[in-house]
Amino acid sequence: MNLIDIRNLSIELQTSTQPILAVDRVNLTMKEGEVRGLVGESGSGKSLLAQAIVGVLDEKWKVDADRFHWRGNDLMRLTPEERKAIISKDVAMIFQEPMACLDPTTTIGEQLEEAVDVEQLTGFFWQKRQQRKLAAINLLHKVGIKQHEMCVKSFPHQLTDALCQRVMIAMALARRPMLLIADEPTAAMESTNQGQIFRLLASLNQLKNMSILLISHDLENVTHWTNAITVMYSGQFVEAGTTEQIFNQPYHPYTRALVDSSPKANRMIPNKSRLMTLPGSIPILQHLPIGCRLGPRCPRAQQKCVHAPKIKNFHGHQVSCHFPLKDSYS
Amino acid sequence: MSNVLLQVINLSKNYKDKNYWFNRKCVAALEPLSFDIMAHKTLAIVGETGSGKSTLAKLLVGAELPTTGHIRLNGQTLAPGDFKQRCQYIRMIFQDSGTTLNPSLTIEQLLDEPLRLNTDLDETERHQLIRDTLKKVGLLAEHMSFYPHMFSGGQKQRISLARAIILKPQVIILDEALASLDPSLRSQIINLLLDLQQQMGLAFILISHNLGIVRHFSDDMMVLCQGKVLEFGKTTDILQKPQHKYTKKLIMSQRFQLLHR
Repeated sequence: MNLIDIRNLSIELQTSTQPILAVDRVNLTMKEGEVRGLVGESGSGKSLLAQAIVGVLDEKWKVDADRFHWRGNDLMRLTPEERKAIISKDVAMIFQEPMACLDPTTTIGEQLEEAVDVEQLTGFFWQKRQQRKLAAINLLHKVGIKQHEMCVKSFPHQLTDALCQRVMIAMALARRPMLLIADEPTAAMESTNQGQIFRLLASLNQLKNMSILLISHDLENVTHWTNAITVMYSGQFVEAGTTEQIFNQPYHPYTRALVDSSPKANRMIPNKSRLMTLPGSIPILQHLPIGCRLGPRCPRAQQKCVHAPKIKNFHGHQVSCHFPLKDSYS
Repeated sequence: MSNVLLQVINLSKNYKDKNYWFNRKCVAALEPLSFDIMAHKTLAIVGETGSGKSTLAKLLVGAELPTTGHIRLNGQTLAPGDFKQRCQYIRMIFQDSGTTLNPSLTIEQLLDEPLRLNTDLDETERHQLIRDTLKKVGLLAEHMSFYPHMFSGGQKQRISLARAIILKPQVIILDEALASLDPSLRSQIINLLLDLQQQMGLAFILISHNLGIVRHFSDDMMVLCQGKVLEFGKTTDILQKPQHKYTKKLIMSQRFQLLHR
């Protein structure tokens, strides 16, 4: 069964003049135990999508979807309270810049104890305090922090970035979620620390069968850790498929450009040669092009591209383009 | 072969801990190191946080005074306090281009400032130079009257690049200047930097922790760890046959990601 199944999700920003379509008909499906990467450059609406799943967008944003299923339940039909009950039980989220997300005025221990689920504690009320402490320490052990005494007593600013991110993951694990949404968990982190965090997430995925939605702006950073990847551009769905499909045979010109533009991915190119790029820059929300939003930058754009393309499916490899690069590989 | 452009001899930096009156503690941020850079070449400096990368950059631009050693530009020793010469020939670009541009000045005023301080061109000449420089980094002359907040991240980085090259420098220091950009913009900027290097004969000092960019962009490479130079040599040699354990670890931590693909 699909863990999450979203079809044609649109998110609109209500402004005083006219509504702006920030996310335009995006599809996302996740199976249980899957690690899915959600890749897009800044302003592509990937964080908005994550926030819409968790349901933390305020009234300015209008969320609309043809289908929004969580394990078979249609979330769009539920009342906000019911929805909140389901989501807070099963979904957890971690953010970039962990140090800024933790409360700077309380110790790590207190913050962790606050996150511990009350329903998991058994015993009389005088035992609960002790149990809470133990549960917090257990959580720290789960994310691979061995010196728990040091850690629970310290404040966020006394720990390193990677340790703070581990603490964030520990908090996310407190309710034993089925889906962990990691919104750029390693942005602005050293490469050695990045590896640590990704390894931790991968082991959680394998040991606890927890699904992970890994949001990143860099395709090459996530390819090693994901089973499947969804690519977005400027609020539109671009391409989805397994990691091999996306990385070795991208069908969409944008994905092709992303893969080609990273100097690490194509090691064949000679030193100091020009990298392949798309001309221009990412459109801002106030001036979005009509039809396919990649249109003005796309090397293969034709007249047809002023109409938004329908999603084509080639054996599970979905692509949203009038002229996919499928034929160029055979 | 072109001659040595920038020569660094025995440069080191110690920070004194001022809390102790007697028994002063000394922290060696950078141990003595020497290197040369030719024109048209790029030196990459790699290391973790606290390895002294940024200290080295600060010493080169003159924001900090070195404890020992000296820097020679074209065979001429740069005096520690002589900013006039340094500003002309050694320029720096920072990581976060958004916060390094003064939000209350237009682009023309921003680019005018280094010209007024360092050259004796009159107003029309300065105007023309700004126009040419903006064109060189791929912006339009109309952008002169814009304010920094009207630009996207990639364009802001282009403006800081324009500010760096407007004085026709010989060395540009890129302190993580490419890290915060989106991939497609990053490759645009890399192409632009390579073009400028070709045209103007610039030498770059690239401080980065993305080894993919380092491999593509640089000729020589220096690995720093806690202020010590662990390895120094040709980039291709070091990345193919790392000698030190630390370098191997650094390479492994990035290379495993694409091992199977």
